[in-house]
Amino acid sequence: MTAAAPEPKANMGQPVPRYDAAAKVTGRATYASDMPLDNPAYAFLVTSAIAKGRIDGFDLVDARGVRGVIDIVTHENAPKLKESKLFSNGGYAGTTIQPLKSADIAHDGQIIAVVIAESYEAAREAANRVKVSYTPMAPSASFESPGTTTAAAKGQNAQFKEDPAVGDFAKAFDEAEVKLTASYDTPTQHHNPMELFTTSCAWMGDNLVIYEGSQYVYGLKNGVAEQLGIDAEKVRVVNPYVGGGFGSRGSMTPRTAIIASIAKHLNRPIKLVPTRDQGFTIATYRAETRHEIRLGAGRDGKLMALRHDGEEVSSRPDAYCVGGTKTTTRLYACPNVASLVSIVRADRNTPGFMRSPPEVPYLFALESAMDELAVKLNMDPVELRRINDTTKEPIGGKPYTSRSLMACFDEAAKAFGWSQRSPQPKSMADGDWLVGYGCAATCYPTQMAPSAVRVRLQRDGRTRVEIAGHEIGTGAYTVIAQTAAERLGVPLEKVAVFMGDSDLPPAPVAGGSNSTASTCSAVMMVCDQIRQRLFKAVMPSDSLADKAKETVGISQTPSTQAAKSDRPLDLEKAFDALGVGVVEEYGEWKPEGAPLDSFKAMHGGHARLVGGHAMQDKIAYAFGAEFVEVRVNRFTHEIRAPRLVGAFAAGRIVNPRTARSQLMGGLIWGMSSALLEATEIDERNARYVNDNLADYLVPVNADVPGVEVILLSEQDDHINPAGVKGLGELANVGTNAAICNAIYHATGQRIRKLPVRLENIEA
Amino acid sequence: MSDNSSSRSSGFDRRAFMAGAAGTALVPMTARAAAQDARAPGAQDPALPVDVTLRVNGKDKRLHIDARTTVLDALREHLKLTGSKKGCDHGQCGACTVLIDDRRVVSCLTLALAAEGLEITTIEGLATDDHLHPMQQAFVDNDAFQCGYCTPGQIMSAVACVKEGHAGSEADIREYMSGNICRCAAYPNIVAAVKQAAPEIMKG
Repeated sequence: MTAAAPEPKANMGQPVPRYDAAAKVTGRATYASDMPLDNPAYAFLVTSAIAKGRIDGFDLVDARGVRGVIDIVTHENAPKLKESKLFSNGGYAGTTIQPLKSADIAHDGQIIAVVIAESYEAAREAANRVKVSYTPMAPSASFESPGTTTAAAKGQNAQFKEDPAVGDFAKAFDEAEVKLTASYDTPTQHHNPMELFTTSCAWMGDNLVIYEGSQYVYGLKNGVAEQLGIDAEKVRVVNPYVGGGFGSRGSMTPRTAIIASIAKHLNRPIKLVPTRDQGFTIATYRAETRHEIRLGAGRDGKLMALRHDGEEVSSRPDAYCVGGTKTTTRLYACPNVASLVSIVRADRNTPGFMRSPPEVPYLFALESAMDELAVKLNMDPVELRRINDTTKEPIGGKPYTSRSLMACFDEAAKAFGWSQRSPQPKSMADGDWLVGYGCAATCYPTQMAPSAVRVRLQRDGRTRVEIAGHEIGTGAYTVIAQTAAERLGVPLEKVAVFMGDSDLPPAPVAGGSNSTASTCSAVMMVCDQIRQRLFKAVMPSDSLADKAKETVGISQTPSTQAAKSDRPLDLEKAFDALGVGVVEEYGEWKPEGAPLDSFKAMHGGHARLVGGHAMQDKIAYAFGAEFVEVRVNRFTHEIRAPRLVGAFAAGRIVNPRTARSQLMGGLIWGMSSALLEATEIDERNARYVNDNLADYLVPVNADVPGVEVILLSEQDDHINPAGVKGLGELANVGTNAAICNAIYHATGQRIRKLPVRLENIEA
Repeated sequence: MSDNSSSRSSGFDRRAFMAGAAGTALVPMTARAAAQDARAPGAQDPALPVDVTLRVNGKDKRLHIDARTTVLDALREHLKLTGSKKGCDHGQCGACTVLIDDRRVVSCLTLALAAEGLEITTIEGLATDDHLHPMQQAFVDNDAFQCGYCTPGQIMSAVACVKEGHAGSEADIREYMSGNICRCAAYPNIVAAVKQAAPEIMKG
């Protein structure tokens, strides 16, 4: 067994290889832009060179003269599209800035023209020959720019419902024996999935097929239909494989309906492959944030007062925010809490989800502050977390369904060798390298959403699972196949899974780490429907049916228990009794506490996620602890992170192999958010400067010599039938704080602004 | 290239056919193209398609393409070999890596014309008779990918990395595999895969 396939512990499935492994290593896995089209024309985007102002006119003579150009679409001749509201306001869109609608420019890099040509090369050349005259206005780029407006998130973003508070923060902070006030900044970041933001559209009569990497095919289908003003049943989104999402493909971007409408107008399939730099402005990103944390504690380390104020940048028209105070105000026991999230509007494209949207910036602030408080208290930072560990969240007093935070700290500390740390800053060195150890907590809400699935079982055990889920690299095919095989009692190799197609039964957005919990709960339920039918055929009396019901675990129990069927089903006997060759069942599952309109919303492309702090009488989170070793060169100030160790507990682990890989990638993402990633903004022009993969630094192989993932066994019977908490967004939270805490330990210098580069290290 | 005149006329015919198929939007453009052809009889117009023969995975492939077409776009758009991926089109990410005469090359920065007469190996040419190449098998065994988009480039790069003699240590593998970005960050598993496959590749 390789390191990639950890031995399963209690409440873990088998670490089987990925369902899609062979397709992915042979090049047979087809991503959106790999799909064959019949005689396509090629689209190339022209984007705005100013961030604010108006287009006075185009000179297209040169561009139209390029051999092979078919059409050039600008706001002057673009097909009219209906508006879609922001996803958080009941729509589908990730931005309400609709390009090609008017001469107005709302942000740098906005789409202002689409060139269509016979070849990619001709479209590109013509796009470069499009001449634009503008009347520019001075844009506001970010926090420090004149002309921004700031207002509380509550009241302007429908999904931000409260600024959590409890007790009397002001009084408690005033009276606290030990106090800390500190400010923290996180930068703009772009997802940069490896697959570009491509879109291909082909019409067959009135029916549209869209090939586009999406984390939500039902949302995209319904959103594009709304913009085109056609029946959603005429739109099909297909993407059996997605080349990374990280949140960037969760909501609809304007490009899709534009390409679809041009394809309709020209009566020809159109393929758009935008450039990497265009991806920085035609999709979403993680906005920069800034925070003030105030902590008050007793000498014993017990938190008495906590206040977290956060500010986030958004675009002029859209009040997007991540609002991570919902998590940071509930992580530790504290009787007096206050918080405020504000949105700062600038002349930017609308930001959106990026892997662990609220937790990455907000836990950076809190977990850095906890380390600073530990220093003030002269206390081990792990012990400070232990003292403030809790079984109930402090805002509403609701119990955590399960919480293995300290178990994670203890396991990870042991594996890391935390006891070898000498507490004083600058006290550990290895030659020219100052050595620092740091740690931080991580957590991520357990979320679920309604999901449907169709399962077909044949007499010979062959099984087909159909669900419009998404394989963005998480292992979705694999865990769905494992769940169906386990639940039906058929060999894994007999299970075929079909996903990434909006003609299949709806699954929720592949975001918020809800996919495994939601889709596997639905698969379990529908497999149970099949088993029930077969059992009833063999044992038709009511009591036996009830017995069967009990045996197959139709109620909401974790699959480990339910799978322990005391009598394996004799498929051939059951099929003979039923007198059929195939049994097929369709079902719709929804989580406890899902709103009444959940299923209608599910079919309409709106994912109603429930979970986290928003559950009725409980709160559900996955937890982890991360330890890092940082080395800072005494002379060059080069910063290295040779060791990352994380321990995680996330309910049932369906596949330890895919889980470990995702957490490992998450740890590396976390390191990257601390030391590498930032989109630099030219303040004068509100423009992203380093919009390519050479200048926007992401980790390469040489950056990550040592990563260790420890999976803790945890069982939680209070979340969903699959018993799954979700972990795709767990490991990259807190790592940024752990690294800054380790840099403090190595150098004695506290750095509160990310990313940390060698120029930020003082002598 | 000796067949320049016929290639030009076939290019023109194809376009005229398209104009009929795609409707009125095409007509002015076609007229302009025709006028250019009339203006420069016999001269080589750099915007006209050229004939290229590429040797891909052991087979000769004749193409009639824009002279600016890269090896990557020739593979993906004209030969339907979509295993090689476009991640940046700037030689920054490595997703398009192929072997040309056994050297790893970013196919997005290589013109198809420049690869004529050379041996191009893509991810589709690595497995033989349904048997995975040892590097492909090692990627499966070590879960050396997640979304899979960079994987063809990683595998081609890894095969070359071993043959170059740069797989002697984990540090070497990390260094010489750093031209291929994996945004899912499967890096430790990629190192393990290269380590596993290296002895078998060197042997065979």
